[in-house]
Amino acid sequence: MPKTDYIRETHHEFLDASADALANQGLQQILGRLGDSLGKKNREAWEQLPNSDLVRERARTIKDETLAELDKHLETLERSVLARGGKVYFADDGEEACRQVIDIIQAKGAKKVVKSKSMTTEEIHLNHALEVLGIETVETDLGEYIIQLAGHRPSHIVGPALHLSAKEVAEILSMPAGETLPVEREVLAGFARKQLRMNFAQADVGISGVNFAVAETGTIVLISNEGNARLTTALPKTHIAIMGMEKVIPKLADLPYFLKVLARAATGQKLSVYTSLITGARHEGELDGAEEFHLIILDNGRSKILGSPLRESLFCIRCGACLNACPIYRSVGGHAYGGVYAGPIGAVLTPLYDGLAANKHLPHASSLCGACQAACPVKIQIPEMLIQLREQMHHEPALKSPLESLAYRMWAITLRRPWMYRLGSWLASRTLGWWKQNDRWLKRLPGKLHGWTQKRDFPAPAPTRFRDWWDKEGKQS
Amino acid sequence: MSRESFLSRVRQAAQAGRAFRVHLQPVPPDVGYVGANGDLCDKMAEEVDAVGGRAFRVPDLLAARELLVTLLEEASAKSALCWEHDLLTRLGLVEFLQSRGIVRHSYESLSKLEFPSQRQSMLACDIGISSVDCAIAETGTLMVCSRPGQERVASLLPPMHVAIVERQQIVPDLIDAFAILHQRGLENLPSNTTLITGPSKTGDIELQLTTGVHGPKHWRVILVG
Ligand code: SF4
Repeated sequence: MPKTDYIRETHHEFLDASADALANQGLQQILGRLGDSLGKKNREAWEQLPNSDLVRERARTIKDETLAELDKHLETLERSVLARGGKVYFADDGEEACRQVIDIIQAKGAKKVVKSKSMTTEEIHLNHALEVLGIETVETDLGEYIIQLAGHRPSHIVGPALHLSAKEVAEILSMPAGETLPVEREVLAGFARKQLRMNFAQADVGISGVNFAVAETGTIVLISNEGNARLTTALPKTHIAIMGMEKVIPKLADLPYFLKVLARAATGQKLSVYTSLITGARHEGELDGAEEFHLIILDNGRSKILGSPLRESLFCIRCGACLNACPIYRSVGGHAYGGVYAGPIGAVLTPLYDGLAANKHLPHASSLCGACQAACPVKIQIPEMLIQLREQMHHEPALKSPLESLAYRMWAITLRRPWMYRLGSWLASRTLGWWKQNDRWLKRLPGKLHGWTQKRDFPAPAPTRFRDWWDKEGKQS
Repeated sequence: MSRESFLSRVRQAAQAGRAFRVHLQPVPPDVGYVGANGDLCDKMAEEVDAVGGRAFRVPDLLAARELLVTLLEEASAKSALCWEHDLLTRLGLVEFLQSRGIVRHSYESLSKLEFPSQRQSMLACDIGISSVDCAIAETGTLMVCSRPGQERVASLLPPMHVAIVERQQIVPDLIDAFAILHQRGLENLPSNTTLITGPSKTGDIELQLTTGVHGPKHWRVILVG
């Protein structure tokens, strides 16, 4: 049985978790599909957008300009939401945001909450906070519903249950069904639809994330393919939306450009099935839509990033394209990253949010091939940022290995003195080089150095150094 | 106060962050506009089919009504959730449904119901019939705005959604649809505007397409003219 204790709130060490993932046959099969089917659809969708690179550039420009005056745009957003009868809350961190949500729910005397998929609420572990207080919280995105039942954390920004096979999904859904459901997607989805409809009919409060928030109109934009975000905001009497503060865009006219690139990058669609623009509560006389609208704007470490060289990570519109493009993600899956956000952008965000020391492997969990940046609809320079994080690690005393420092110091000393370098290479070729002249590979280095040879062989030095060969034969030919 | 300290922290960070603004390329203003290239109705129909819906071309409202008979049968509809809309009035939808013995949950009848039973009636409908605020040919998208009598649930709760669209309601590009919202005045934005592009879908089980998980599984667009 593969390891599946991907508990929502616990942390995983990248090395162990990735080794588990590589050994997990089922997971490997599913991950293989990411590149094949999805990659082709993505490419076709991009082909139908002329000048797509410039459209991405436009989206990027809007993000950059907005962040430069983020405080002003947030104030405008607040004003617009208030003007439409909504309420606005600012939360410094996850704990405060959870408290604000709880206060609203308790003031309504609500017992049951439905949620549409939101990475931000995962980030602040809202479900846990609500459940502790006995507030029933039901995830309504099919993938989220499945992993909520299983107690897993999401393994992909867009497809949270990506790590599960249809068979596993059937087993998980059979629990609330009280019978064994067949391994047929239509039946499983149909069962979930019925269950979740019941929950929608009873829920008092709907909680959603925010894909974009338009400052000038106070509109929040929710995107989904299933329609659960629409149900979450149409049926319950109270709607609470939680947004990371970087989600604001200044103008309504900015939105279509983001919509055009987001769905293409995420799922290879020109547009997602449902894009809802929600501006305040329902109007007088309307029969659906929430009667109260609350917007929570979350910092939770974002302002620290905003003022730093890694500010660009705040451009992210959570499309998941960098995950699908990444050779590492496609090998180890989402859970190995140990945080809420997986993949290349997770390798940047998790150390930023949760600290480098606890996530020291993540900046190295990349081959720096650049596929993520090429796939990103806002062209975030993820490899660049991973290198910066690696550099930062170097300055973090807690992460310094004395042995590694010593090795590098020796290396520097050697490189600065040609005679030492020459002596070193002579010694290496006479010892390791001669010893390994037939198979040319070292299978196992001693001590700490074994970390290198654990997953790959180390090339042995040549028995004859280049300079010796050159003096003897090279020069003449 | 948390608000003031929040905003002043953001102000400082935004300022500090300006040192790290990214290098940007200038973008010409028309970049991103795709449009339909050719007949709007043709393109609309093609895209609706491509995203998993079914488009029907009819010459006039009379033909649209005839087509509706087939769709009602396909949905085995006993009850309908309908918009009140000029186009549907011209179609004679109310009388048409009545003549076929289908219960129409009108705005008037629904608004008289108390909260739980109102919701139950909405949830129980077999078919939703609406028009649109506009349709977008490039992507095969319907834009629907909420108003009293034009509920958002009509295109959401029933297993089948039928939208009736006239040629003059179709615009070429998403950007044109946003221009319509601007023309109407941003202060007049409805509480909900939804862009619908296809039947409800999910890829959450093994990345394979499954339809109808929350919204309508059957998405039909009747294009008139
Ligand atoms: S970094 Fe770019 S590609 Fe990755 S999720 Fe964010 S927006 Fe998408």
